[in-house]
Amino acid sequence: MSSTEVAARVRQLVGEMVPSGPREVGTADRLIEDLGYNSVTMIELALVLEVEFDLQDMAGEEAMDLVTVGDIETTIARLATAG
Amino acid sequence: MTVTDDHVVDILDDGPEDAGPARAGRLPTPRALYDRWEKQQWSIAEVDVRRDRESWQQLRSFARGQLFEALAELEVGEVFVSRTLSGLVTHAPTDEDRLYLSTQVADEARHAQFFQDYLHLAVGEEQTVSESGTQDADSAYGRYFEPQLRASIDRVHELGGDRAAWHTAIVEYHLVTEGVLAAAALQSTRQLARRFELAALEEGLGNVARDESRHLTYGLAATRRLVDSGQADPVFEIYRSGVVLAARVLVNPAQKAVAPVLRPALVARAAQVSAQWHAARTRAVRQLRLIGLADRHQELAAAWDAACDRAMDEYAANWGVKHPVAVVAENA
Repeated sequence: MSSTEVAARVRQLVGEMVPSGPREVGTADRLIEDLGYNSVTMIELALVLEVEFDLQDMAGEEAMDLVTVGDIETTIARLATAG
Repeated sequence: MTVTDDHVVDILDDGPEDAGPARAGRLPTPRALYDRWEKQQWSIAEVDVRRDRESWQQLRSFARGQLFEALAELEVGEVFVSRTLSGLVTHAPTDEDRLYLSTQVADEARHAQFFQDYLHLAVGEEQTVSESGTQDADSAYGRYFEPQLRASIDRVHELGGDRAAWHTAIVEYHLVTEGVLAAAALQSTRQLARRFELAALEEGLGNVARDESRHLTYGLAATRRLVDSGQADPVFEIYRSGVVLAARVLVNPAQKAVAPVLRPALVARAAQVSAQWHAARTRAVRQLRLIGLADRHQELAAAWDAACDRAMDEYAANWGVKHPVAVVAENA
């Protein structure tokens, strides 16, 4: 899967899991402020992404903020291709 | 910890450890709690658990799993207490205590039935953990705390209602099971019910919490009387042991914790779990004030922290990885 395809799939999943109901989302959308994600739905989204992209243990991975949909796209693309 | 106008301790109050005055001398009598019970009746039929079924089916897996786990723990605790509390009624020190405790037996039956009905009719479970008899495997309370409480109630029977044995069971039932574990579970589960618009669950948990406030108040008053009679050290030791066990229940080293790979989600999950532990720790320490043992708060807090650390070591030994809370703490 190319990074473009990964990004598109990430946006689709993020959009499907918006707490108020599925919607189309853009790279610049902020998860909490714009899309209404909270701690529970953030964790749920992360677990779905793990399964979708077969993410493995990330020992040593630096903590970073996932503020926007684009942040997730970038992170997942890096991790998915690193495996 | 809030003491209401009629001096009942609010089990869902989540103020800081040193909140509120130590007003245990004004805690109500068993008769006053009996009168309050008559005025605070509720019914499962009126709650109508079926109205949550549609909302429950729309929950995503993580939220559903979190809520289900909490409800299963509450169901196991309530069923166990409903099966065994009558031993404390039989051996109550006075008729006034016996009459009050009889109301509590009725409450616990209603609570057990509420959680079972909810799990059957709203969640859609065919069998609850208690009904399937798998509490040793499927419940942290069943695994770690129930054996201790069962031994304590057996001891009350074996010793023909020995006062010390009876008070030990009161501390374990009322102060630890209800005042620490159930209170923390009710608080966090009710927040989730509100967040996910599970109206029947929110209403039912509110009713249960109101009942538990009376139960806790009774236990605090009974224990305070024992402390005032010169039994401070043995009471503290019983309470400390129960609280240490409660910490192990919350860490639950026998169950693999949800640990997201994405670090921000892992941090969020660890924060959720830590908040639950902290709330329970705060409750445990605050109760010391109301039973006349405020001067032992540092000792109890240290015992709690050490118990959590031991349980997390046990978790690491069981699973070959550190507990998410430990992972995040190390990288903080």
